[in-house]
Amino acid sequence: MKPGVHTASALAGRAPAPAAAPARPRPSAWRVLWATARRDLRLELRERDAANAMLFYGLLVIVIFSFAFTAEAQLTLRVGGGLLWVAFLFAGLLALDRAFLREAANDCLAGLIASPAPRAALLAGKFAATAAMMLMVEAVLLPLFAVIFNAPPAARWGGIVLTVLLGTWALAANGTYFSALGTHARQRTLLLPLLLLPVAVPAIIAMVQATQVFLAGSGGAEFWLKLLLGYDVIFTALGVVLADAVLEAE
Amino acid sequence: MTTPTPTRSAPLRRRAAAGGAWLYWWGGVTLALLLYGLVQALLLAPTEATMGIYYRIFYFHVPAGITGFAAFGVNAAASLWYLLRPRKAADALALAAAETGVVFLAVNLITGPIWAKPIWGVWWVWDPRLTLTLVIWIMYVSYLVLRQFTPRSELQPRLAAAYAMFLFIAVPIDYMAIRWWRTQHPQPVIFGGPNSGLDPHMAYALVVCLLAFLALMATLMRFRHRQEMLSHEILRRQRAAALKES
Repeated sequence: MKPGVHTASALAGRAPAPAAAPARPRPSAWRVLWATARRDLRLELRERDAANAMLFYGLLVIVIFSFAFTAEAQLTLRVGGGLLWVAFLFAGLLALDRAFLREAANDCLAGLIASPAPRAALLAGKFAATAAMMLMVEAVLLPLFAVIFNAPPAARWGGIVLTVLLGTWALAANGTYFSALGTHARQRTLLLPLLLLPVAVPAIIAMVQATQVFLAGSGGAEFWLKLLLGYDVIFTALGVVLADAVLEAE
Repeated sequence: MTTPTPTRSAPLRRRAAAGGAWLYWWGGVTLALLLYGLVQALLLAPTEATMGIYYRIFYFHVPAGITGFAAFGVNAAASLWYLLRPRKAADALALAAAETGVVFLAVNLITGPIWAKPIWGVWWVWDPRLTLTLVIWIMYVSYLVLRQFTPRSELQPRLAAAYAMFLFIAVPIDYMAIRWWRTQHPQPVIFGGPNSGLDPHMAYALVVCLLAFLALMATLMRFRHRQEMLSHEILRRQRAAALKES
């Protein structure tokens, strides 16, 4: 995290920002990350608006799917992974959209950007809080899905949980970055899925295929998990390097 | 601006005309190449043994695809250039390349099904190459949507350049994921590849068409780039004039 800040400003062709207040040292990246994540999570958990909406929305998607396709064990064997991830994706988009919404009020974002905190750490803190929110909701939705769609007895849940962790990382990392990017756009809520989904295609293929393999209890998940992990690492690094490009005063 | 003074508007017109000569020359060469390619592809190249006349759409389908991907390569290079050295010229090139690439790849995606219907019997199959092309086309359409949704300011080029980096890096991962995804599933073996043992005259016609399409890409890109730079210039002058009046 630490080297990313300087390479980012060098990459953007600007000199590193001069220390605004020499008396107060630049806060460490990890502390900024932790403080941002903790603050966002605390606000979300006190309000519980987003968590409730996500939970209910995810549940609705799962229930609607069971009407659209008759929910029987055979169906779950074939397309269960896809159904699960569409529900997670839609619910996740609600959280991702909110990641920077709070900062829009009272020009909070401008204040954050003006602070000496490293921008990559701010972004990473938002990512951590959003990913935690998504995982909490998914932890409730996953058992519901298993019951409603009659998960096959051969399903390996350890593998599914691992896929959910890696897949949520992928969606939250890019989604947080694009949420920050969208704060400058006119129709930010419309824009987020349009930006996220095309870039997320390889991750979506990998998470759906891996979940499918674990649901059916067949083999061949290693490739998908490796691909997903590679995607996570590459795009998280890219977001850190390019953090300055989206978090800067106009 | 309703009343631009002659002294202010004259240099702009001269500037616009300066780039125009190049366009006429280059446009002429492109037109000649396109016509020559058309004659080669439709009249002179031999008819293919099994597909008959339908195969001739390949002289436009394949060059359009290659040209589209080349344009996206230009977009990635120009976006990286902008992130390293923020210049209007780099941003204008990235925009011109993305728009040109989307158009060429659209030609590729439209001519494909036209050929596929009589030969394969279906408009579309989720074959790795088709899927990848469609996904990449969608990615660059969303790049253009982003540009449309962000207000035209100092910020827009930077956001677009950052997003272009995400797109460019997603392409190889897409390639791996889609290849593995499709090869895991059984799929009908439909054709053995048109490039297996291409007739020399066919290869010649294909190269001519490819050169013509690349020349067309350069023309369109240069056109759009110039238009973008001129519109920046107009905006700058309008602002300067407004500042002077106030």
